[in-house]
Amino acid sequence: MANSRPNKHAYIRYAIKRLIQGAITVWLIATATFFAMHNVPGDPLLDEKAVSPEIRKNLQAKYGLDRPLLEQYGIYLSNMIRGDFGISYAQQNRSVNDIIREHFPVSAILGVLSIVFAGLGGILFGALTAINRNRLPDIVIMFLVIMGISVPSFVFAALGQITLVNVNAFLDTSILPVAGWGTVSHMIMPSLILGLGTMAFLTRLMRSSMLEIDNADYLRTAISKGLPPTRIFLKHQLRNAILPVITVLGPSIAAITTGGFVVELVFAIPGLGRYFVQAVQQSDYTVIMGTTVFYGAFLVFMVIVVDLLYGWVDPRVRLD
Amino acid sequence: MALLEVSDLHVEFEVHGGWVQAVRGASFNVNEGETLAIVGESGCGKTVSVQSIMGLIQTPPGRITRGTAKLRGQNILGGQTADGREIRGVDIAMIFQDPMSSLNPTMTIGAQIAEPLIVHRGYSYRDAMRRAQELLEMTLIPDAASRAKEYPFEFSGGMLQRAMIAMAIACEPSVLIADEPTTALDVTIQSQILDLLVDLQGKNNMAIVLITHDLGVVAKIANDVAVMYAGEIVEHGSADDIFYRSAHPYTVGLKSAMPTNRPGSEQRLAPIAGVPPDLFDAPPGCGYAPRCPYAMDVCESTPPLDFGVGHEHQSRCWLHHEDCPQPAAEIHRA
Amino acid sequence: MEATYSFDRIEPLARQVTRTRPSLSYWQDAWRRFKANPRSLVSLYIVMALGLFTVLGPWVWTIDPTAQDLDQISTPPGADRRARVVEPYTRWVPPNITLEALSPSRLAVIGEPTTQAVRLAWHPVVGASGYRVYRGIAEPNSPDALGLPLTDIVNAALTGFEDRLDLKPRTYHYTVVALSTEGRELEGFATLDVPVTRVITTSEAIERGLSERNGSALIGDVVYLDFHPLGTDYLGRDMLARLMHGARVSLFIGIVAPFLYVMVGILYGSIAGFAGGRWDQLLMRFADFVVALPFLLFMILFKMVFNTGPGESGVFAMLLAMILLSWPATARLVRGQILQIREEAYVGASRLLGAGSMYLIVRHMIPNTMGVILVTLTFAVPGALFTEAFLSFIGMGVAPPNPSWGSMCNEGIKTMLTAPHELVFPAVFISLTVLVFNLLGDGLRDALDARMRSAE
Repeated sequence: MANSRPNKHAYIRYAIKRLIQGAITVWLIATATFFAMHNVPGDPLLDEKAVSPEIRKNLQAKYGLDRPLLEQYGIYLSNMIRGDFGISYAQQNRSVNDIIREHFPVSAILGVLSIVFAGLGGILFGALTAINRNRLPDIVIMFLVIMGISVPSFVFAALGQITLVNVNAFLDTSILPVAGWGTVSHMIMPSLILGLGTMAFLTRLMRSSMLEIDNADYLRTAISKGLPPTRIFLKHQLRNAILPVITVLGPSIAAITTGGFVVELVFAIPGLGRYFVQAVQQSDYTVIMGTTVFYGAFLVFMVIVVDLLYGWVDPRVRLD
Repeated sequence: MALLEVSDLHVEFEVHGGWVQAVRGASFNVNEGETLAIVGESGCGKTVSVQSIMGLIQTPPGRITRGTAKLRGQNILGGQTADGREIRGVDIAMIFQDPMSSLNPTMTIGAQIAEPLIVHRGYSYRDAMRRAQELLEMTLIPDAASRAKEYPFEFSGGMLQRAMIAMAIACEPSVLIADEPTTALDVTIQSQILDLLVDLQGKNNMAIVLITHDLGVVAKIANDVAVMYAGEIVEHGSADDIFYRSAHPYTVGLKSAMPTNRPGSEQRLAPIAGVPPDLFDAPPGCGYAPRCPYAMDVCESTPPLDFGVGHEHQSRCWLHHEDCPQPAAEIHRA
Repeated sequence: MEATYSFDRIEPLARQVTRTRPSLSYWQDAWRRFKANPRSLVSLYIVMALGLFTVLGPWVWTIDPTAQDLDQISTPPGADRRARVVEPYTRWVPPNITLEALSPSRLAVIGEPTTQAVRLAWHPVVGASGYRVYRGIAEPNSPDALGLPLTDIVNAALTGFEDRLDLKPRTYHYTVVALSTEGRELEGFATLDVPVTRVITTSEAIERGLSERNGSALIGDVVYLDFHPLGTDYLGRDMLARLMHGARVSLFIGIVAPFLYVMVGILYGSIAGFAGGRWDQLLMRFADFVVALPFLLFMILFKMVFNTGPGESGVFAMLLAMILLSWPATARLVRGQILQIREEAYVGASRLLGAGSMYLIVRHMIPNTMGVILVTLTFAVPGALFTEAFLSFIGMGVAPPNPSWGSMCNEGIKTMLTAPHELVFPAVFISLTVLVFNLLGDGLRDALDARMRSAE
């Protein structure tokens, strides 16, 4: 029986459905975070050491720290819906919202650039290996890929930095800054390094996707039509091979954003990830909670966006 | 001279432990505007034979070791002439068994039909799409204009096969190879597709090479028949020859194995006992010998030659050797 | 040319020579294919070697990973570990140096420079009201790169200095700069390269059992400090021992966690797959929710929640957190497999032949799922290893002093430039293990091939 292609109406309905589901998920994440934080040993929200008496009074009033748990939960949720994540414990003059607002864009830019690198690189190199199967480019690239997925990101970050330092010293100029943030040239090295792991993974995925298509019947048809190899490659192989890569982009964004904090640490980039780690190390609970929920929401949103994108690109997707 | 002449084709495949001789000296001809059916059971080499003409044999692990395929006298084995001119999609086109998987899922039907026109005939995109629509109409797809913009998954099996045919005839090839085009379809649709092919053949004076294992299909549209077994063409002749003057025990066996629809007849199905030989270790003599009721010593030891048994009717069977004591006429009576 | 043929009739099927290749069972065939792939075999061997390293290592190489060899801090592998026995330290009063005694150099070492003390003396500089002494490990090529300032001497008459700060047996570059009355540095400086030799007192030599003479040590003896084949870390702990014990921790988490969460996933997925309908939907919804939680963030959260007091290593906290967050993927996989297999033709055929549910499960479903599960497991190990390394790297993992490869990397990064071996070894071990399990997984997947495709 023939399927009909989803029309715009169904698409919008699907988008709305996903958004609602996403909102529920974010709510669940917030709940999980809340209850997790309240189970950290020592009940630090009442920790005397962390806050000064005035702040403590403010916090008590605001969060109802002496009220029963469920009420606190309610307060927490109502605060969150209004977008208020509270005030940082460690830096008591900064609200969590401010922290997020200031530092998230940095992480976001880093993340987006990394994904772009990873995606383009992955598709390019994956296609290259498939074209040159078992010849030198394939072997070299696959070797690098295996290194890329085996070596932990922090090692890459550290190595990358050392290499850059040495290269700069050798050339006696600074071709790229080794740390810090602010200009485009600051963004290049960290994004590259952050994207490497995912690029390796995507290359591999692209390669196996291309190889699977090698056995596909429609490829046989394309050859039997006497089409030139370039055309076959672009329209019949590449076009179909990209699909799994796009599917994986959603979770990849997740991986990159949450993995970003190592690169942020090593390259001294003032991103949200670095603040998160610091908050954990300093037991700054409001920041931890706020960042977790925020990141969670961001990731849920990104996955939805990618899924919608995929639904638009691949006509076979059934929206149900 | 026939339009397409394949002679002495040998194709082998490398597998763990050695080589499988998939095609062991196949020769067949197609005349202009006529239909040749290549019949045989699964694994006999019919698909491999035509695939090697179209250059679809992947070279590791496959290998064409001998043979030619001449289109109007020019060898085009592998899909191109000696001076590199592409004949696939232009002079010879092919349609396949499972239309759903044989079409690119991410391209519209119209675009896929338009492709050969753009590539081989230099059409502009717009002209090609318009012609694609005409071709769809020619293959009797209703509402062709909007169908052309749809994707394969939106079509049913029968319609897809029509679309594939439209795609194949886009550049008006002289030969259309159809590899079991109706096997995956309902019987009623089968009939429609075959009618369509015959119709197009008449309009474009196109030769058809039809691969099938169904003798009913053969009876319906074939002019000539080549019977294939274990990598060889064991009998080659007109449809009448094959059906009424069978000259090879295998052909006779095939006919007997077909269930007939004669009302009131009680018939046991008569399958051919045994299995085809494993072509990994090719048998030294005739491939059919182990299953043949007329087998002789020579059949086991020496591969039979092609014997002429009538006007353009050959059989690769020792029964037709002049010294053979068994009258070859015996097998006709089956 | 004309051969004579024998036209005697023979019986059909008389000699159906079955010259076929031997038929292999699924697992035999898979094993054969696995063996044929060199990378898979090599990976398998390396995995086994790692196993031996982890399990037997500490039995063979018995140095305590927490013991600190203070005389060999941050030493790279193959470093010279000789020490000369000398008398215990005695205080030094900078002598009055006459100019002649020091000429022709302006800065000189007094006595032998050892790890006990390096004594310097220099020409007084006209107009100086004090001096500053620098010590560096690289040759100073500019006034900014003099190294670590050791001391400021505000007495112009004092032209000597004894350095006892954390001396290692290497070459130091000492620089003395004159200071003005305001404490600013004046132009010009004097530099001296000083190679320092390692020495050890008699009592220490005897105490630590380093002397060859039973129970005593003579001045001038050369003794050998403890052997550390892979060097030591910044606290003087043996790297090899730490790597072995770290292997136990890292691989324990890396293998046990995936094993456990795959088990949970199998159980959960099987139940969902068999139950079908409402229950299936419900169970899968819950699984989806767990998947939506940002993994790393919640790992950290859970780790904080389960964190136990000091003295506990935090291994179980990490294990628990990892299991709680990672089971859904396997569950989904197994459920998908079961649903798919249920619809397969051969199941229907088996039922027609009278097969009961149990038989179907054991004979059909499990063998078909095994392959997928095996591959999933193998690929899960690198993930768990990475997670552990990652978390330990940011200090959220295994607590010190328990070593794990990740925490060793964390410590190694700090001294990356001066003592690279502290980072290189654990990083290489992590990378190698991850690499090997990845290749193993690849090999397994290729070997179990045809089934894999449909599962993905």
